[in-house]
Amino acid sequence: MSRARLLLSRARPERATTPEGPGRARQVLRTLATGALAHKGLTVGFVVILLILVAGFFAPLPHDPIQPNPESTLKSPDGEFWFGTDRFGFDVFSRVFASARLDLPIALAGTLLSIAVGIPVGLVASNKSRWSERIMRGLDMFQSFPLLVLAFAIVALTGNSLRNIIFAIALVNVPRFIRLVRSEALVLRESRFIEAATAIGASRSRVMLRHVMPNTMGIVLAQASLAAAHAIIVIAGLSFLGIGITPPDASWGVMIRVGSQNIATGQWWVSFFPGAMVFVTIVAFNMVADGVTRLIGRAED
Amino acid sequence: MRYRTGAIAKRLLFIPIAVFIVITLAFGLVNLTPGDPALVIAGDLAADEQVAAIRAELGTDKPVPQRYAAYVRELFTERSLGTSFFTKRPVWDEITQRFPDTLELVVLGLLGAVIYGSLLGTLSSYFRRRWPDSLSRLSVTITQSIPDFFMGLLLIYVIFYIIGWAPAPVGRIGLLDRPPERVTGAVILDTLIARDWGLLKTAFHHAMLPVVTLALFYSSHFAKTTRAVLSRALKSDQVEFARACGLSELRVVGYAFREARTPVVTYIGILFAALFGGAAIVETVFAWGGMGQWAIDAMLKLDVPAIQGFILVVGLLTLLVYLILDLIVVALDPRVSYE
Repeated sequence: MSRARLLLSRARPERATTPEGPGRARQVLRTLATGALAHKGLTVGFVVILLILVAGFFAPLPHDPIQPNPESTLKSPDGEFWFGTDRFGFDVFSRVFASARLDLPIALAGTLLSIAVGIPVGLVASNKSRWSERIMRGLDMFQSFPLLVLAFAIVALTGNSLRNIIFAIALVNVPRFIRLVRSEALVLRESRFIEAATAIGASRSRVMLRHVMPNTMGIVLAQASLAAAHAIIVIAGLSFLGIGITPPDASWGVMIRVGSQNIATGQWWVSFFPGAMVFVTIVAFNMVADGVTRLIGRAED
Repeated sequence: MRYRTGAIAKRLLFIPIAVFIVITLAFGLVNLTPGDPALVIAGDLAADEQVAAIRAELGTDKPVPQRYAAYVRELFTERSLGTSFFTKRPVWDEITQRFPDTLELVVLGLLGAVIYGSLLGTLSSYFRRRWPDSLSRLSVTITQSIPDFFMGLLLIYVIFYIIGWAPAPVGRIGLLDRPPERVTGAVILDTLIARDWGLLKTAFHHAMLPVVTLALFYSSHFAKTTRAVLSRALKSDQVEFARACGLSELRVVGYAFREARTPVVTYIGILFAALFGGAAIVETVFAWGGMGQWAIDAMLKLDVPAIQGFILVVGLLTLLVYLILDLIVVALDPRVSYE
């Protein structure tokens, strides 16, 4: 496995090796805060995600998202039900936005958890020792498993709780952070400012925590955005299959599942709107990842 | 050559360890995860005796090391993955019966993804920063951001319901069609063997939407790598020389594409392995009846032996695919053996 992966990483264009200095994550945050127009994609993506999140929690919804209206089932979009209703009489519009309350926080929590595990393990694995070798070997093995199916199986076997979904997502995403942080740290260790820090007598742990780790944050942020996009797909897949979040709780996957029984008979709106929302969210996360990559000067073009 | 045999030998030595780890993982999935499957199967209202009975049937009433020993023994001496909790049929039979269908879907889907993706990537790098490039990158952005199961539903709505080109998205052949005589178990292959051209057409017709779904969703990987590698290759000295010699542009691109050969093969291998399980959702959407769909059903019903068996089989298949992949890559690219 390792050979094939190695080759794949070699297939990517080489990037500038020595970073100039610290503070890249701060730069990204500053751009977000000031909304600099120079990075349109980053700002647009970030604002879209924020809007979806805020709308999920605070927007006044026209109907109760978890209270069906039995007298109006499978209605096409009209003045009262803007996105129509499903076969139980749930208002699709309200549920599409209410779903953000569950889907987005779970995706973000799962991603954060995988970063929290991935950074320390990646840093440790960047030391040249027997342990790092073992960690990478173990990771190879672990990644040769069909992680998506493993995540489905784990949630199914341990029970449908939000906590288990978050764990499953973290599990699927943790290898990429370990690999990323390790490979970044390996390059950073060779740079001049690390040499300087070591020369003035900084301890190894200080060099790692104060000099190496902060400099990996920019690229970790970019990867985190991709991981969150992936998490959205995993959550939607889980609840589409009926494994993760179950009705009447609103989740995009649950809504697509309900609508899937009507789509072959022409009632497109039940599945379409939640699916479109998943699409918009993923595109937004990808835009953020793209923007961050450009901002820290790692874009391939 | 000496380096090559060394690399291959080293790779082969790793196999027994890997198999052992896969077996342990499949076992640990059921036995070491928190929570008691017996409780989940029995439901909230079950009496203690019922739960105990289920535990005894699953074997989870014994201590973990003893269970592990029993699991490994059964695996090696009886070559058995256990029996399904619900159908009472051997898990191995259930899986082998459905495997050819999944294999057929995965092969066709990946084939589509490779062709479409490489075509996009090649166009993209050849017409860099011109409209074909923007168009192909737009396609990549869109197809990689639509979950495959939703893409399947969209295709069903547009191509089946509105246009009417595809048959109803249920199963491999029409409900009234007589299935071909089972030789390999793969429907398309079996109709070919039976020389039943009408049925072959029906089978392809039914395979169209799921295959297109997978092809679109996974094409982005190939498009992106081909674009990245070819963009560099087209700027290289060799390409300049080939052009100076007066070779046709098609030929030049063909030579440049060789550069992308290894990463494309690597992606084919990785996705091939991932899709044995990863196609499960698409199988479910189209009621394809492969082992992925069966596994999802097993997960919903908490058929513990079936889930365990599926994870084990898919894990071992992945190992096998990666082994073949590594051997192909070593054969294609001698640089690898020097690592």
